[in-house]
Amino acid sequence: MNYQQAYWNPVLETLPREQLQQLQLKKFRRIFKWAFDHSKFHRQLYDRAGLTPDDIQTFEDIRRVPKVQKSMMRDIQRKDPFPYGDTLCVPLEEVSEFRQTSGTTGQPVYQADTWQDWEWWAECWSYILWAQGYRPSDRVFIPFGYNIFVAFWAGHYAAEKLGCEVVPGGVLDTQARILKIQELRASALMATPTYILGMADTAKNKMGIDPAGLGIKRITCAGEPGAGIPSTKKRIETAWNAKVYDHAGATEIGAWSYECSHQPRGMHVNDAFFLVEIEDAETGEIIEEPGKRGKMIITALDRLAQPCVRFDSKDIIEWDSEPCACGRSFRLIKGGVVGRADDITKVKGVLLAPSAIEEVVRSIDGLGDEFEVIVDKLGDVDRIKLKVELMPGREDQLKPIENALKDQLRLKTNLGYRIEFYDYGKLPRYEVKAKRFIDKRKHD
Amino acid sequence: MDDPTNLNEIHEKIQQMKKTAQELDRFGENFPSIARNTSRILASVKMLELNLSDLVELKK
Repeated sequence: MNYQQAYWNPVLETLPREQLQQLQLKKFRRIFKWAFDHSKFHRQLYDRAGLTPDDIQTFEDIRRVPKVQKSMMRDIQRKDPFPYGDTLCVPLEEVSEFRQTSGTTGQPVYQADTWQDWEWWAECWSYILWAQGYRPSDRVFIPFGYNIFVAFWAGHYAAEKLGCEVVPGGVLDTQARILKIQELRASALMATPTYILGMADTAKNKMGIDPAGLGIKRITCAGEPGAGIPSTKKRIETAWNAKVYDHAGATEIGAWSYECSHQPRGMHVNDAFFLVEIEDAETGEIIEEPGKRGKMIITALDRLAQPCVRFDSKDIIEWDSEPCACGRSFRLIKGGVVGRADDITKVKGVLLAPSAIEEVVRSIDGLGDEFEVIVDKLGDVDRIKLKVELMPGREDQLKPIENALKDQLRLKTNLGYRIEFYDYGKLPRYEVKAKRFIDKRKHD
Repeated sequence: MDDPTNLNEIHEKIQQMKKTAQELDRFGENFPSIARNTSRILASVKMLELNLSDLVELKK
């Protein structure tokens, strides 16, 4: 095999745009019909909109297909066929993989995949890793928990598919992982930007090991926007003396975008496997032209067990005006995913919605209504502080209230907080719109 | 890699592979290792179809 070949799929990745769009339209019609015929949830949605498969003939028709919100998925799950509910399109015995979303905004969403869907996940990641220079000569160390979140599972299987040697770095603590990277002379890593920076910090400041000397050549980052932020990317690349590449994917969607080895300050959408539309947040119109940000509406064109059809991802993106020098006809989104429509943010690599904190604070008897969250950085590490008010007359219950608060925050947000108690009335009050979540981290 | 003859030939091979795997699957009724392994083969063949056959069929 020619390992110099730049593209995992030299036909699809350089297909002229017009043919790519014809392919997308054909595949959208196919997945729409599949969901229409096999998913009670989707069928009800489309019946209410008065749409049948024969109505989908053009991209304008696609825009009439109702969007799916994450909240809809929550409402229909935890029912038969258990636990996926009416969105499941295959018999339960054909589901081979269970994953779930992190659940910081409420109930996690469950995701079913058949073995074919799981192969599809690995195939999508194969486009990513090949574009980022992974080859069979790479020894890829993957330091993640191998748990219930999809995270880097498909990255592991794709690396195997490419012919790389994969070292699963689960269970080990950070220092043990660094020692293992050193011991095995790993050449590539996959992790969140936060964790990658944290590993570098641990190596340098606690172990006396310079990560730049460990021989890592390439790092794939996902899970949070860091690798798409120039100053963060630069910090990671300097710390590890390696090339850093961004990727964006989601449990409900798939591995839909990737930065190629040309590092175009953006990411390619895998236009052969996904249909990405950008919706103007104010008008609801679809944005075709570059330079205008909007909300991503995305369809996974080949995922069958639990289809993703015009899913409102809430990711904010914009098309780039320039094609990439790599020669791919897959469109670029400029700067990657630049934000979230609903202000959910990542803290220490964990997805966090301010509403989850509000829910906890206001469920604790003895705390006032007002609170404030401050997220900042100490060096490269995120910190989060929660300011709350103790109700008058509850001073002797401070400790149990604090313990209950910490326990619930850990349970509902997967994070630990520094807690500061104030007398009632000391925190800011707001009349119309409150700004209780203050993110002091600076992004270039 | 855009020789239409070549793509059609590749597509034909993929379809042959698929047909063979489907025929093999019929022997799997009382032979779990046949049934489950051909199921996986068919999933991999589907990836070949996604990578090429979908496009070839579009051009027909």
